[in-house]
Amino acid sequence: MSNVTLKNVNKHYGPFHALKNIDLDIVPGEFVVMVGPSGCGKSTLLKTIAGLEEVTNGTINIAGRDVTREEPGDRGIAMVFQSYALYPHMTVRQNMGFGLRIMKRPPEEIEAAVQRAARILRIEELLEKKPAQLSGGQRQRVAIGRAITREPHVFLFDEPLSNLDAALRTQMRVELATLHKDLNATMIYVTHDQIEAMTMADRIVVLRAGVIEQVGTPLGLYHNPANRFVASFLGSPRMNFFEGIVSSIEDGAVVVNVDGLPPLAFANIREGHGLTQNATVAVGVRPEHLHLSGDHEIQAPAKIRLSEQLGRETVLYADAGALKTVGSDTGTSDVTLLAGEGGIPAEASTVTFGFDTNRAYLFGPDGQTLTTEKTIGA
Amino acid sequence: MYPKPIPPSHRTSRILYMTGVWAVLAIWLLPVAAIIMTSFRTFDDIMAGNYWGWPTKFNILENYAAIFQHTDMLVYFRNSLIITIPSVVLVLALSTMTGFVLSRHKFVGSTLLFAAFIAGNFMPYQVFMIPVRDLMVSLGLYDTYGALILFHVSFQLGFATLFMRNFIAALPGELFQAARAEGASPMQILRIIVVPLVRPALAALAILLFTFIWNDYFWAIVLTQTDAVKPVTAGLANLRGEWVSAWNVISAATLFVAIPPVLMFFLMQKHFVSGLTMGAVKG
Amino acid sequence: MTTPRQKMLERWTPALLLAPGLILFFGVIVFSAFRTFWISLHEWDGFGTAVYVGLANYRELWTDPQFWMSLKNNAIWLVVFLLAPPLGLAIALLVNQKIAGMRFAKSLFFMPLVLSLVTVGVIFSWFYDPTFGILAKIFGLFGAEAPALLSSERYVTFAVVFAGLWPQVAFCLVLFLAGLNNLDSEIIGAGRVDNARGWQMLRHVVLPQLKQVSFIAIAISMIGALRSFDIISVMTSGGPFGSSSVLAYQMYEESLFSYRYGYGAAIATVLFAIMLIFIVWYLANLLKNENGA
Repeated sequence: MSNVTLKNVNKHYGPFHALKNIDLDIVPGEFVVMVGPSGCGKSTLLKTIAGLEEVTNGTINIAGRDVTREEPGDRGIAMVFQSYALYPHMTVRQNMGFGLRIMKRPPEEIEAAVQRAARILRIEELLEKKPAQLSGGQRQRVAIGRAITREPHVFLFDEPLSNLDAALRTQMRVELATLHKDLNATMIYVTHDQIEAMTMADRIVVLRAGVIEQVGTPLGLYHNPANRFVASFLGSPRMNFFEGIVSSIEDGAVVVNVDGLPPLAFANIREGHGLTQNATVAVGVRPEHLHLSGDHEIQAPAKIRLSEQLGRETVLYADAGALKTVGSDTGTSDVTLLAGEGGIPAEASTVTFGFDTNRAYLFGPDGQTLTTEKTIGA
Repeated sequence: MYPKPIPPSHRTSRILYMTGVWAVLAIWLLPVAAIIMTSFRTFDDIMAGNYWGWPTKFNILENYAAIFQHTDMLVYFRNSLIITIPSVVLVLALSTMTGFVLSRHKFVGSTLLFAAFIAGNFMPYQVFMIPVRDLMVSLGLYDTYGALILFHVSFQLGFATLFMRNFIAALPGELFQAARAEGASPMQILRIIVVPLVRPALAALAILLFTFIWNDYFWAIVLTQTDAVKPVTAGLANLRGEWVSAWNVISAATLFVAIPPVLMFFLMQKHFVSGLTMGAVKG
Repeated sequence: MTTPRQKMLERWTPALLLAPGLILFFGVIVFSAFRTFWISLHEWDGFGTAVYVGLANYRELWTDPQFWMSLKNNAIWLVVFLLAPPLGLAIALLVNQKIAGMRFAKSLFFMPLVLSLVTVGVIFSWFYDPTFGILAKIFGLFGAEAPALLSSERYVTFAVVFAGLWPQVAFCLVLFLAGLNNLDSEIIGAGRVDNARGWQMLRHVVLPQLKQVSFIAIAISMIGALRSFDIISVMTSGGPFGSSSVLAYQMYEESLFSYRYGYGAAIATVLFAIMLIFIVWYLANLLKNENGA
């Protein structure tokens, strides 16, 4: 139980600046998930915390101790690797007890620690097996068990579920969340899977190109993304983005013209937004906020191109004529909508969809969110 | 990576480490350095016992000219090329064929055949000496290039087949199934799919075979007799008998013999190393 | 449409492709292996007719002191060559760093591997030369006189094996470098997290991953030891008085110089038998690994 503090951490690989001025404070018992697209530096960041990569500058504190220049084994961390990294020539028991054995702990103590971890993970009957004899899920458990035996201050997970099939992934996700509650341990978890991030995290750290874009609770990030990148990264299907031009600014209200829509008047704009007339901005609306029925401020017609029926919900891709999205999942300029159980429009039919401006986000030319915070859950 | 990399930021450690490496290397290559220096010296220097000091006079041209003017090294050198190049080409062609069949066609005895190739490859080849020599005599090939080419091709086929079989077996099986589905005959598969894809393996194999065959000494002295067909290795050994204490000339000749494989090695080092590890690690 | 003739051809293509290689390999190599054994049961001068003598050649071997000397020297070669894998590993660990100039240094370490053994033999003969060689110089530094290694019945084999070890270490170095490059970096990371360092890391985390490579390095060194011939021929011709001879060299001398082909073949058969033990061991390991994987 301890905190992890990163101060101004930088990492260079030759000319490549992999981590840029990372500041992060993790409180005891917290489950922090770091997400971002591949190459964003999330794994590098985890490895610098582990000590497997040296930082170029900055400091790392674990449990109140500066460990920046210490070896991984001295930092009081344990790590679960993507490939599990079990020692192939050792039995499960030897794998789990190896760290304590290196520390020259008495055999009884090692055995007790191994037994305790095995009990927690329900792998007592696997102790005599070699990793090659285990299934993927079992290896995963052993890797976690090995981490538990070390009784670390912090658990580090590097995309631990990415090698499992979908069903097992869900199961392990739930088990890890339970484990976190039971052990009440500090955990730092790296993934590129936003579902893992949303479901497991106390707080999510979104990284892009070596920079922390935003830190916050899952719902906080979902409803109040700091910028367009975070808005597009979290949420599936992805938020719709429309390009627009600022037509007027008065009394804090900003009117934006988007091709194919009536003028959008944003009343809830942050102070100091710095917008000027004719500035190019982006308007973002999540698919679940585009409604196929009811009265809404803004309405537009669209022709359904394709529907993906998922049972509980149906994802619709619609051609809204002059209204075009940019940077969508599908690589088209179609608008993405969600249809509930009732009334799924037929493909090729024309519908009218609508939304309220207070549900929409406005992103400035630099991508920063300009609309004020929305209340979560409303 | 193990051992742990010394980070670029630790400049002093890196310089010290490299200095240590060069020091070990200096000891490692001491024999080679010595022989290079000797090949520059005059005979007087050698007679005076100046082996390690600076040569009193550089005699490079004279020493190397001596091997061309007063010895048959050039003839031996030409012989080595005449023996080595066709042998390498033949082994490459034949082993592509055998390797392809053994990797892609299962038949009765294919495992046994494969085991025979491995076993042949490992044998101390000296055990074949008496029958092979006898065979070459009865074929009328003894003391001709043909004897050495025939033997080298037959013997290296073991290693080469193993090598090609492993390489072709590692190619994706779907490739072959797709070709079969499109109606390609085994011959077309070999020509259109295998040959273009095995090029890197052939390059690696070629340089290995070149080195093995060029450096062969045993078969050179067992299967040839006259200077007209002797390869460089046997020639060099002869030279030592004739130029007993003219170490400067012998050194020059020794280096001359080593030029082709060393040159090949430096030009195609990647292929050489990958070939050696591929051949060994999988075989 | 494929005609029946084409179909026939396709059916036989694999056999046709195999044929030339098989004919050569079996006709020259495999046939010779069996014929060596057959000749070993005869008294033959290489020209006239061979006379069947049963196991007489083997009985003679049993009482031939030179045979035991050669066998003992082969054993020395085997034992000393077992140093090649650890030495190769040591150099591999030394040069497995990415520092400017290391690539070139590595190539220079590989170099003995591409030199012909004749070249190596010549280089070392000169190295050991009792009047001019570097060994003499080193002894001279201490005011001592260098032993004439190559004319000492006691030291000659060790002096020759040492020369043979040089390229063999380079070979093992190449293998281990490839092995080190294939290490699983996450397992090394796990070892570091578990606080394994230095020797413990090597012993418990790295070496187990190099098992396969080590096995090959050992096997290849053993084959190399049993194949020793060139260096002996160049450096000592088996002398003085046969004290540096090995089975391969003795066979060569008995056959080509004493015209005792049957006796030579018997020596070759013994060598063959020794090698067979290694091959069986090697193949068994290989098959076990292939089945295990």
